[in-house]
Amino acid sequence: MKTLVKILNFKRFGRCLGLGGLFVAAAVCAQDEYLSEDELFGEDVLNGSGISDPLEPLNRAIFQFNDFVYIQIFDRVGEFYTTVTPQPVRTGATNFFNNLNYPVRLAGNLLQARFANAWIETERFLINSTVGIAGTMRPVDTIERFAPIPKEDVGQALGSWGIGNGPYLVLPLWGPSTLRDLAGLIGDRAANPVQKPFSAIDHWKWEHQAALASAEVVARLTERYGKIKESQIDAYGALKNGYVQHRDAAVAE
Amino acid sequence: MKYLSVILLLVFTATCAQAASVSDPAQSLKNTIEASLDVIYAPDYAAASLDEKQKLIRDVVEKKYNLDILIRRAIGRNWSLMNESEQVRVLELVKQLVVKAYIGGLNGKARPQVIFEKSIQVSDKRLEVPSLVITGDKTIHVMYRLGRMQSGWEIYDIVAEDISVVSNYRQQFDDHFRKGNGAELIQKLQGLLERENIGEDIKL
Repeated sequence: MKTLVKILNFKRFGRCLGLGGLFVAAAVCAQDEYLSEDELFGEDVLNGSGISDPLEPLNRAIFQFNDFVYIQIFDRVGEFYTTVTPQPVRTGATNFFNNLNYPVRLAGNLLQARFANAWIETERFLINSTVGIAGTMRPVDTIERFAPIPKEDVGQALGSWGIGNGPYLVLPLWGPSTLRDLAGLIGDRAANPVQKPFSAIDHWKWEHQAALASAEVVARLTERYGKIKESQIDAYGALKNGYVQHRDAAVAE
Repeated sequence: MKYLSVILLLVFTATCAQAASVSDPAQSLKNTIEASLDVIYAPDYAAASLDEKQKLIRDVVEKKYNLDILIRRAIGRNWSLMNESEQVRVLELVKQLVVKAYIGGLNGKARPQVIFEKSIQVSDKRLEVPSLVITGDKTIHVMYRLGRMQSGWEIYDIVAEDISVVSNYRQQFDDHFRKGNGAELIQKLQGLLERENIGEDIKL
């Protein structure tokens, strides 16, 4: 009888042990199934944003200046331009300048050894410049093989070579940049056919150059600036971070 | 007792299996976004005031998702620089700001079309749901990053056109807390909420 009790107790103990193990296993399984606090609020959060900005006071001052110019001048110029220029003309002008910027995109692709994309850019340029009446139209977009590819520039090429962003910069009128992208911008300028010293359109006067530069800046800024200007705790920080993230993604692409 | 063990084993297995295949999180996300757009565009809510719409959108979103996770991740290491009452107040004000900006950003614009693409299972606990937001001739790529929590699938980041919302706001909080404190942040947030044109310049 005593032996029987012992056996029963042993069995009960075994069952308890089994059940206990089951609960532990269940708890472990449940833990592994979910993101932990560490995973959610861990290292990447605690490390902070980490964009080098040693010239912040100067950058902020230029940011304020740019902000004033964009809102008080560019925005109004943009509105006036939109009012007096029909949509097809605006689209044609955008297409024309975009097409003319082909050497910059070509250089960006070649410097990254993206020869297939460089060839597509060349084909797009040739077709748009001829069939598309000097690039004012983009008939090539209707052909699947020539679908637009990501725009490359010299700054991206420098990034793809492993050159980091360097310090963050805010350029007067131009807006957010980095030391690497400033170097890239100089390279872009060298490749740009409408800007000196390599201008392919020598007879353009400074007024034309200024108008073109303004149009470029307005188009570039109004597209992104409005998105992150309002409702931000710190518009300067938002623009800085947005710019660097956007460029990092373009380099990684 | 033997049967009890078997039942427990079955319950355990079923729980694990259920956890692994919780109802489609992408579909759930889509439903929530469409429901929040309904509040802005559906005729049923046309008479609702801005405040009512804000409350309705928060109800829709917070029924499914815990916005505290997104905001706390954005605040990051600065979280511990605030006292408890400041933390609670900041969470609330940022939620109000985000919802107000969301409504302001869509104000006067046609309802955007939101297309969800195939979800990407990053790991058992992480999922990425890419989407396209189409309005007029513009298309914006928006990626939702979801994590499996005990409360269900939660959004832990939103990436719009390669820009992580969490990272972007973290930059702003970092910049603020280098010189400022929680009380000043609350003041700043209140100031932003008092502005009437929040989000109007946000271009989709």
